[in-house]
Amino acid sequence: MENRPDSQNQTSPKSLALYLDPDILDALHQDHYDLGAFNLCSLNEAKFALLKKGDRLWVNYSDGEHCDFPYYLNNVKQVLSDFSQRQNPSKDHTDVFDSLIKTNQKIEKRMFSSVPISHGQNVKDLWDEVIKKINSISHECHSLGSLIERVLDVPFLQSYQSSLVILHIKGQTKAEVLGTLWRSEKHKDLIEVKDFNAFYNSVKKSKIKSFSTDSFGKMNLPFNGSFLAKEVLSKKYSLVAIVSRHDFLSYAKDEIELYETCIDLLQPHFERLIDQEFSDKRISELRVCLKDFPLPLRIKDSITDATFLNDLYNNELQEKDIFFSKRVSGPFTLDIYDSDELRHYAFDLFHFQRISLLGELLNTLRHELSNPLFGLKLGAQIYGTLDVPEDSKEIMSEIEKNINRSQLIIENFSNLYQIQTEKKPVAVKKIIDEALVLTKSETREIDKHIHFSEGTEDLTLEVPLIFVVQIIFNLIINASQAMKQEAIRGVLTLDIKTEYDTLLIDVRDNGPGIPEDKQGELFKPFFTTKPQGTGLGLVLSRNLAVKMGGNLEYFAKNDLKGASFRLTLPLS
Amino acid sequence: MKHLLIIEDEILIQQSLKKLFERKGFLVDVSASGKLAIDMILTKEYDRIICDLMLQDISGFDVIEESKKKYSTQDISEKFVIMTAYSSPQVLNKANSYQCRLLNKPFDDLEHAMKVMTE
Repeated sequence: MENRPDSQNQTSPKSLALYLDPDILDALHQDHYDLGAFNLCSLNEAKFALLKKGDRLWVNYSDGEHCDFPYYLNNVKQVLSDFSQRQNPSKDHTDVFDSLIKTNQKIEKRMFSSVPISHGQNVKDLWDEVIKKINSISHECHSLGSLIERVLDVPFLQSYQSSLVILHIKGQTKAEVLGTLWRSEKHKDLIEVKDFNAFYNSVKKSKIKSFSTDSFGKMNLPFNGSFLAKEVLSKKYSLVAIVSRHDFLSYAKDEIELYETCIDLLQPHFERLIDQEFSDKRISELRVCLKDFPLPLRIKDSITDATFLNDLYNNELQEKDIFFSKRVSGPFTLDIYDSDELRHYAFDLFHFQRISLLGELLNTLRHELSNPLFGLKLGAQIYGTLDVPEDSKEIMSEIEKNINRSQLIIENFSNLYQIQTEKKPVAVKKIIDEALVLTKSETREIDKHIHFSEGTEDLTLEVPLIFVVQIIFNLIINASQAMKQEAIRGVLTLDIKTEYDTLLIDVRDNGPGIPEDKQGELFKPFFTTKPQGTGLGLVLSRNLAVKMGGNLEYFAKNDLKGASFRLTLPLS
Repeated sequence: MKHLLIIEDEILIQQSLKKLFERKGFLVDVSASGKLAIDMILTKEYDRIICDLMLQDISGFDVIEESKKKYSTQDISEKFVIMTAYSSPQVLNKANSYQCRLLNKPFDDLEHAMKVMTE
């Protein structure tokens, strides 16, 4: 529940005996400042405070002069219109200025509604002090964390123990909590965005801005008791600033308004510091990306002649090797050097696109086909049980079998594109069968010899099924395509056997084989002998095999024509 | 006799299920449109509503939401059986929030699916 300081006004005061810790007692006796005074000096260097005297508002200048508020307001408007007429104010200027205008409007509004409570303080001096402090800390701090910590230095906040900010940068999955506890302990934490949003909305909706930690258990705030909170929204982020005295007492109205005004005044500085941290982070990320960029590159500043070189750059590279040179921004020129890799990359971007498109396409196909197939299957099942001639029943059962096969193929193909790394015991026979189902059309008119040496059929492997199927699938497709180039009847042989604690799967064809000079290139990325090939199949396959603790190798057999690959996998 | 409503826009599935259930002695109404189905639910009494999630006009969840006009949450969890071919975690979560039975299409075991739908 929110605290409601307003309610004090409606009830008659009653005496109450309180036994308090001296610290809390001190805090209770802290003066509350008169909000009848506001300093609007943020527009320019002039110092003046605004006072409410009776029904009239007065502007007091620091040198003792004063004028009434309508006159002052006119002055401000004059400054604003002068500014807007200035030629080409920069975007930054306009933004800062806009936020100043908004701040001033808020202060004006609040001032008109505020009721001054006099404690016999020199209001103008106190408020001057607050403004001065805010100005000085905001200039001294170079990070959001330190600014939040220093908020506690503002005169009226000196009895407070903790100051925190909960920041959510748009697009990020977590909100960050940072600040200081007990005026000494630094605090940093991450919370879920949905918790932050709920919190932000409660703060935004609240008119009183005063809360208790009890109501926000999910936020896991690092202290207990009541606290003041004020939300700030900007294009790039939303944040809630919090201060607490770590007690359970409610806050006075003037205290709350003073805090709100403080945060309003600090808003442009929040923005500046967050922007800066954001861009620092981006620059360092960019630097890492450039450093690891897979081609030699150089960025040169034409004014200072400073250069940035990435890891692949070496001194042997010369101006004539520059493949790509472009003015990127201001005085900076980006040079990328020619290399073998470059040709591959430029080339294979297209292949990558094609492959990822294929994955998406397959997914759509799966979704679009599975429903009608299911309908056909149900229909065939039901028609088959009706009172129809025996041969019709047979046809229906054939239809059903074919639909099952289609479903299996779709299922298996889309499994190939899913990242499943779950290890389950899987029968060797099942792996081979699944790979054969997937390659059925590609291996049409090719004789297939599958030899399981004794006992291997019943063996099980503890591996992700999809990994092994993908490897064998690749090998069979490669073999079949190679054999089709020859004018002989293709013979594909799969030999499954064991050697000590290893399972060997040999895939052999009687195609043209791999020329000796090309055998070393086989497992290099983008090496391909096929005009439509990606050159990735074998690389990916070997990576998968290694991931499972095995290997994939080419082995030439002198006595036999064709290519042979051996997949080895550890038996559990 | 139990009265069923099947909401499914794939006519082959819809009609096959209708036939299957009729043979088992149920009284079956069908609808390919979610909006029509809502009218049927609001005006007639059904013991069981078997609803596909991906309909042409609105989603199966919309149908359930509209049925709240007539049924309590308890009724909905008992009456509705959701069928879906897209069992993404989001869909599963949402379906679970209604606490009704869920069947993945295609059915692995037709007999079992029929049991889930009618028990």
